[in-house]
Amino acid sequence: MICEDARLAIGADPEAAGTELEEHLRVCAGCRAFREEMRRVNADIRRALEEPPDLRVAAPRRVAPAWREYALAAGVVLAAAAAMLVWLLRPTDSLARDVVAHIKAEPDSWLSTLNVSAGSIDHALKSSGVGLDLASDKIVYAQSCWFRGHYVPHLVLQTAHGPATVLILRHEQVKARDNFREGGMSGVIVPAGDGSIAVLTRGRGPVDELAGELRQEVHWLPEPATR
Amino acid sequence: MQSPVSSLGERLRGAEARATLTALIESMRPDLLRFAQWLARDRSIAEDIVQEALLRAWRSRDALKEPSAARAWLLTIVRREHARLYERKRLELVCLDDALDLPDGSAAAVADARLLTLRYAIMKLPLEYREPLVMQVLGGFSTEEIARELALTNTAVLTRLFRARHKLRTLCGASPAPDATPGEERA
Repeated sequence: MICEDARLAIGADPEAAGTELEEHLRVCAGCRAFREEMRRVNADIRRALEEPPDLRVAAPRRVAPAWREYALAAGVVLAAAAAMLVWLLRPTDSLARDVVAHIKAEPDSWLSTLNVSAGSIDHALKSSGVGLDLASDKIVYAQSCWFRGHYVPHLVLQTAHGPATVLILRHEQVKARDNFREGGMSGVIVPAGDGSIAVLTRGRGPVDELAGELRQEVHWLPEPATR
Repeated sequence: MQSPVSSLGERLRGAEARATLTALIESMRPDLLRFAQWLARDRSIAEDIVQEALLRAWRSRDALKEPSAARAWLLTIVRREHARLYERKRLELVCLDDALDLPDGSAAAVADARLLTLRYAIMKLPLEYREPLVMQVLGGFSTEEIARELALTNTAVLTRLFRARHKLRTLCGASPAPDATPGEERA
């Protein structure tokens, strides 16, 4: 049994068991982790379905006085202005937090050990308008992920010190190198052209060295118009 | 020729069986209604479906040989009644954003926000994915039974179930697993 068949069987029924599947799971950590996660998702689905859907009984609309509409509009404008101000003044480390949160949400990515096909790498990069002069045999995970309003390449590289996660952030500008440690990971975000690159490892890995190398290897392509 | 005594005995047994079936059906009504609601996404339509399904079940009660099979039998009738209604008339679409009871900000609502998000996501699944998922998780049907009921191949059912969970997993914040998405639905 290959991973694709195993994941189809697990995704279709996370409690499924069979000789072939169990044999595959014994040797494939990625599929084992996938089954654990799908079992958690399935338990939530079961809980969600236990109650009938909460459909609201439509209530008759009351006519609000005109001044309420103006007050509401003013409130919306003020809220939008406040949100814009917060966004403009957001500290750089919120980017680091978002990067860490994103990586934590994809625990499978750390477990990959098999090389990703050149086509998958190409898709992950080009759909975000990114070029990378890096030997594809180092890349064991490549996805195009939705992050802060844009698709960004999410890669995991196999290094001599273990796996390192890379997010290439074309739309996130940072003024200077930002080193951080959070959630058992150490990372760095460095400026790269008009954007930035985030590199993270579990524990203490050589993130600065990797980020320095990647800065030389990344280049921006014309951004795809739609996706 | 049957004696009057045995005839009375059979009638009594028949009456007893009918009473048992009535009680069984009534005890399952909440389950049937919940199942129908997840399919129809509308309470009043779901109530109509269950009502009609129970009527059909009662008329064909002789088809039920084993009381232990009653749940699956009734759920199947409900599903078919929903499919019949769905085919007979284009059901009015419900705007889920308006119709769903979203969190009101209370502590309990916030605590259950994740579950509510998932319920919302299930409601938003297209019927082709929602139906086999609800049949499997809520109805306890096997892949083979779902395939038979929906007139699909086993592999097509597996693909739909996979995709349903994959969509829910993605909608709930996790990202797609690498190499996990089957391509075209395999017939």
